[in-house]
Amino acid sequence: MIAIHDLRKQYGPFTAVDGVDLEVKPGEIHGFLGPNGAGKTTSIRMIAGLLKPTSGRIVVNGHDLATRPEAAKASLGFIPDRPYIYEKLTAGEFLRFHAGLYGIDGEGLGERVREMLELFELGRWEHELVESFSHGMKQRLVMCAAFLHRPQAVLVDEPMVGLDPRGARLIKNIFKRMSERGVAILMSTHTLEVAHEMCDRISIILKGKIIARGTVDELRELAGSRDEQLTPVFLKLTGGSALQEIDEIV
Amino acid sequence: MQPFTYLLLPALWSSRNRVKRSERGDFARAWLFGGVSVVVFAVLFWGAFWITTQLYAYDELGDFLIRIGLSWLFLTFLSFLTFSGIVTALSTFFLSDDLRLLLATPVAVRRLFYARFAKTVLQSSWMVVVFLLPVLLGIGIARCAPCMFYLTALATVAPFCVIPVAAGTGTTLLLVNVFPARRARDILMLMGLVFAGSIVLLLRFIQPERLLRVDSLPDVTGFFLTLQSPVTPLLPSFWAGETLFASLVGGRDLLHAGALWTTAGAFTVMLSAASERWYFAGFSKSQEARKARFTKLRFLDTVASLMPISVVRRQLLVKDVKVFMRDVTQWSQLLLLLALVMMYLYNFSVLDLDRIPYMAGTIKNFYAFLNLGLAGFVVATIAARFVFPAVSAEGAAFWIIRTAPIRLRDFLWSKFWSGLAPVLLLSLVLTVMANEFLAVAPLLKAVTGAGIVLMSFALVGLATGLGARYPRFSADNATQVAGSPGGIGFMIAAVAYILAMVGLLGWPSAIYMWRMSRLPVRPLRPDEISLIAICCTAAVALSVGVFLYGMRTGVKALEEMG
Repeated sequence: MIAIHDLRKQYGPFTAVDGVDLEVKPGEIHGFLGPNGAGKTTSIRMIAGLLKPTSGRIVVNGHDLATRPEAAKASLGFIPDRPYIYEKLTAGEFLRFHAGLYGIDGEGLGERVREMLELFELGRWEHELVESFSHGMKQRLVMCAAFLHRPQAVLVDEPMVGLDPRGARLIKNIFKRMSERGVAILMSTHTLEVAHEMCDRISIILKGKIIARGTVDELRELAGSRDEQLTPVFLKLTGGSALQEIDEIV
Repeated sequence: MQPFTYLLLPALWSSRNRVKRSERGDFARAWLFGGVSVVVFAVLFWGAFWITTQLYAYDELGDFLIRIGLSWLFLTFLSFLTFSGIVTALSTFFLSDDLRLLLATPVAVRRLFYARFAKTVLQSSWMVVVFLLPVLLGIGIARCAPCMFYLTALATVAPFCVIPVAAGTGTTLLLVNVFPARRARDILMLMGLVFAGSIVLLLRFIQPERLLRVDSLPDVTGFFLTLQSPVTPLLPSFWAGETLFASLVGGRDLLHAGALWTTAGAFTVMLSAASERWYFAGFSKSQEARKARFTKLRFLDTVASLMPISVVRRQLLVKDVKVFMRDVTQWSQLLLLLALVMMYLYNFSVLDLDRIPYMAGTIKNFYAFLNLGLAGFVVATIAARFVFPAVSAEGAAFWIIRTAPIRLRDFLWSKFWSGLAPVLLLSLVLTVMANEFLAVAPLLKAVTGAGIVLMSFALVGLATGLGARYPRFSADNATQVAGSPGGIGFMIAAVAYILAMVGLLGWPSAIYMWRMSRLPVRPLRPDEISLIAICCTAAVALSVGVFLYGMRTGVKALEEMG
């Protein structure tokens, strides 16, 4: 559903993303893990069409993003890490506007909007201005928009930032349900517990390169770790085990 | 404990760092703004100098007019500073991001108050001080004033600025304790603009040109009475005017100077006490997210649904209009614009050209092209303020457009059409009505009408395109975008285009009108017909070229973004 071939992004002499290959199949939740500045958000933004790759190819639902951007984007839903939305629109108006961008109009739209708002527990806020929303509510509204047009693939950048435990649980359930219906989800996250709990496969990116890929068990084996938790595995793979010295310093 | 000025250090350091860190375009900006500042300074200085020397010739009447003039000047600034103080205090005391940090630290409320009040006074009054400097210099030099005049000016302007800003800050403190801060800002913005519009209209409707007419001399007494009516001895503007006038003629007015200083001190102390009592309650309230009331604008959805355009364009249009109408800081500026348009048309309606019998026809026709140029400048200004920032107005939410399956070309065209409709309407009203008031020849009505349509398309296209080429998504407001290097570049290009258009349309029209006004009427020679055709074609080609360049460069920039 999402296929990336030899993706690169260069900022002058600095290489943010260096030859990333990735494939997310229908119904798969693929975790994209890495330390700060590893290239996760840059990669996600290139797949969403927000950044132009220096080289490489991105294909969404069979459409090349470079040559058929509209068709590729029509199959995609995007959830950014920071939910910037038009503050002077109501939640309902924002979703109708968003639907319009995907060419959705007509009688069924109102019902679909209400359905999505109810799903993300925002039903009673439909006629309120976005400017009065909390960060978590805005995040959930962006998710409503991302799923509104029934995308076949969804890109998520740090999904749990700003969500309360109830909101986080809700989102996890929705993502699971969407993947069961065949939606491919590529999710970048810092929260290893989230990746552990939700992802079918995980790619670990470091300094712009994918250094490991597989299921949690496969990664554990690759790191030579017997730990149940993903954190020690992640630290071993990304060279962050020195963090353990912090205890001594502190 | 550090003095309160310690709290001003971050602002000072930020400014220092900004000066140290050079950015692309800094040099050009410095030249441009430096040049404009020097010109404005010179104009103000010479204006004040010239008026003062002219009035000097009228002895006591001249002195009387200078005295009233100073009081009027300070009265205008008094109102300006009060409103500026209200709006600035709202930001410095209640909405600044750094307040959350500062209020979480063990800083005493009084120290915070003095630091913020100093910042508010500086931010609100720097423009007044910059304006007063050349004006007072001009007056002083024209009257060969002693050194004491300049020292008195310093000692007058300082407390004069503090008083209205303190009154404004007190009003804000009161308002924020009654309304939520964000709502209060909207209300104040609206009040401020209505006030500014009223001042503009009031000054115009006093009809100062009556003074220049000999036949209206019997009305001069009434005119002076009108002039003097708002000058009351109870206001600090009167005290400032009197203090300065006394030192201008070599005397001293300690009473009014003392009134200024004691009032400024008393206002500051009272405000400090009020702040200790009510500031935190107000700040706390300003953090509460009240349910915002807003205009639903349902009719807009209905009207848009009837338009024969695609779903994408319809939704983009509806979104843009709703966002604009719900942002008071945006649409309220239209009120000021409306006041200026009324004044503009009123000026044409009172233009008494028939007093020059032999030249009336020629001058009227000349004015038709002057009006075309002026209307062009109005269009350019509106395009710079409202159309140029249209792409930047998407701000951080632009990701929604960029990740949507729409062509960025459609997005930009939607911005163009939503900008063109009001601009075209306004420019046509300005041109057609002014031409009617002037009663210009029918041919010129048609030429200038067609000219302004071309100019509206070209200027809106250029503003839309350059706005996309030089966006500032992180700008706090549209004014910042309009004042960016891209915005200034647009204005320079727009002025050059307008001048070219007025020349290309005005010159052939003048040839034609000249021929037709001769008796007997002599038909145009073939070479003149060719020249007229070339000029008109060039005007159309130039407009189409400017329009296409603007839109193409905008689409290209959007497509290459990232």
